[in-house]
Amino acid sequence: MGTISLEHSSRLYWLGRYAERTFSTLLNLQKLYDRMIDMGTGFTDYLYAFGLENNYENSSAFLRSFLYDENNPDSVAYSLERAYDNGIVLRETISSEALSFLQMAKDTLYRSQHSGNIRLSLLPLKDIFYSFWGCVMDHVFDEEAWNLIFCGKSMERTMLLLRLQAPYTEAKPEFNRLCRRLRFVPEGTPYRSTPERLELLTEIFGSPEQYAAGFRNAVTEMEHLFEVSA
Amino acid sequence: MTQIDTQQAEALFSEAICNASEINELLRRYGVKFGIYKNGVFKEQFFPFDPIPRVISSVDFQFIEKGLVQRVNALNEFLFDIYHEKKIVRDGIIPEDFIYLSKGYLAQCEGITPPEKIYSHISGIDLVQGKDGTWYILEDNLRIPSGASYPLIARELTRIACPGAFTREPVTDNRNYAELLRDTMEHINCGGIRAILTPGRYNAAYFEHSYLAELTDSVLVQNDALFVEDNKLYQRTYNGGKTRIGVLYRRISDEYLDPLNFCADSVIGIPNLMEVYRSGNLGLINAPGNGVADDKGIYYFVPKMIRYYLGETPILQNAPTYLPFYEEDRRYVLEHLGSLVIKDVSEAGGYGVVFGSDLTKEQLTELRDTILAEPRRFIAQEVIDFLDLPILDAGKTVMRKADLRAFVLTGSETRVWTSGLTRFSRNPDSFVVNSSQGGGFKDTWVLSR
Repeated sequence: MGTISLEHSSRLYWLGRYAERTFSTLLNLQKLYDRMIDMGTGFTDYLYAFGLENNYENSSAFLRSFLYDENNPDSVAYSLERAYDNGIVLRETISSEALSFLQMAKDTLYRSQHSGNIRLSLLPLKDIFYSFWGCVMDHVFDEEAWNLIFCGKSMERTMLLLRLQAPYTEAKPEFNRLCRRLRFVPEGTPYRSTPERLELLTEIFGSPEQYAAGFRNAVTEMEHLFEVSA
Repeated sequence: MTQIDTQQAEALFSEAICNASEINELLRRYGVKFGIYKNGVFKEQFFPFDPIPRVISSVDFQFIEKGLVQRVNALNEFLFDIYHEKKIVRDGIIPEDFIYLSKGYLAQCEGITPPEKIYSHISGIDLVQGKDGTWYILEDNLRIPSGASYPLIARELTRIACPGAFTREPVTDNRNYAELLRDTMEHINCGGIRAILTPGRYNAAYFEHSYLAELTDSVLVQNDALFVEDNKLYQRTYNGGKTRIGVLYRRISDEYLDPLNFCADSVIGIPNLMEVYRSGNLGLINAPGNGVADDKGIYYFVPKMIRYYLGETPILQNAPTYLPFYEEDRRYVLEHLGSLVIKDVSEAGGYGVVFGSDLTKEQLTELRDTILAEPRRFIAQEVIDFLDLPILDAGKTVMRKADLRAFVLTGSETRVWTSGLTRFSRNPDSFVVNSSQGGGFKDTWVLSR
């Protein structure tokens, strides 16, 4: 359609990234919480994977901060707020319907702080996010806009999988999906991937052995994947 | 059903009252907000919605509709005249002071004929209904009147929460506003896409800008993505290309539109936009310079305009108004200051409105001196004891003052949207209904029979 401005493109891309970051962080924390039920601890590995310092008294303080603390840039609350900040200026593109799911997610997260069973109270967030993505797929007719959102989503998920040292079988399909989406990014935009970097990443994701040897480098390569800083 | 009390409201709208929290929850979910600056800090608030609608009978609305079409057509004629021949001034109907001293008069618009000769495409006309049923015009808003999106989305959501009410009552569907707006925009499209220009997220009415862009399938733009080339307006796209804009529904004030023609320090304007407009290469909604016609001082002359341009008797009345500018009126105003409402013509949004009955003796003396020193700055009006409407307040139904903003759209013809924004005061002692001063809103139901 040719109506996407630079500002708009950045909002679309970061909406995808932050919405995915919110969702993936939530799922990862839920898995971690599940492990901690038996083990009592385990959050230090999570902090290590992201290169973060352990400033938390116990697992409960860690969880509260990573779920609800809007000042913690690695928390669900922080990512959700950023997703909403981007979403609210994209209403006409993503639809009021899709935006309403982000508001619902905010309200659900806020209410869960006061719940006696946090895990149970967070369950609807998963449904809300699946609905949000479904809504975006259904309502966004501009294919370039759609692709930018999903490029952001795939980029974020791939990076998170790499940081958490996800198995090759899990990371590879997401990387493939990202590559397919990147192919549709028009030339002359900030979201065109650098051919050399993409080639290097393709090599790393080429086999389980190459992945095992190179996934740490892959994070750095991903951060500089675009020709222009996006 | 023009005047109902609390008991009637509770009986008629029991479903809406019971589901008030669900409706408000839905409004919240859809982000129906407005922004407000307090002490320099921006805050986004949910706009308090009252589930009890204002109901206007079909007969009443037909009367209002005729009056509003007449008024807006006359105002459009006036704007064309003022920026061209100024016959109405030459013929002594309006003193030139009221034109040239008006803040809304823009010399830069002299001689410009907008596409299809339409100046006010979207007019927000504020009315109140007196206790005897008479409708009075309180104010004309011809620059960038806001508020249509609120009853529009409220209706959509109320129909979900309280379907029964719509089965029982013959309520005219108001969800055609986007279609009316799109037609209005297309009517003056000079070749290109439709766009809505917003100052950004931190504008009080940002929800409305984005919601209307969504509904009209227009591109929501900010100035930094726009530029003028070869006397045409373009949007710069992220791949380095450009897309021509044929009609721009701008939601920023005249003075910030074009730094080369108005405020030189405007950072939200588009340099040379006025040249594009002047050349007839862009439809601008609403036309710059409309402020001269919705000035509180000019309001006094609108019935005269209707007679002058249309040769018709005004259908809708103004609230009884006095202009201290005229000696006879000034004498009356000064003698009755304690019982009148005084309005500073340069203020808006409910600011600069003073009720004489609220003032101390010293304040009255001070106001008298100010009026004597600057008579052109004020108008005075009789206080209309306008109709109270039932609203829900902390679970109880109470009566509060309310006005109605009707939306009149001018494209191939002038049409009145069969709904409107009803704003009410939440304070039992106040006549001020503006959202910026804590007021809430209601849907406006127009009955089809």
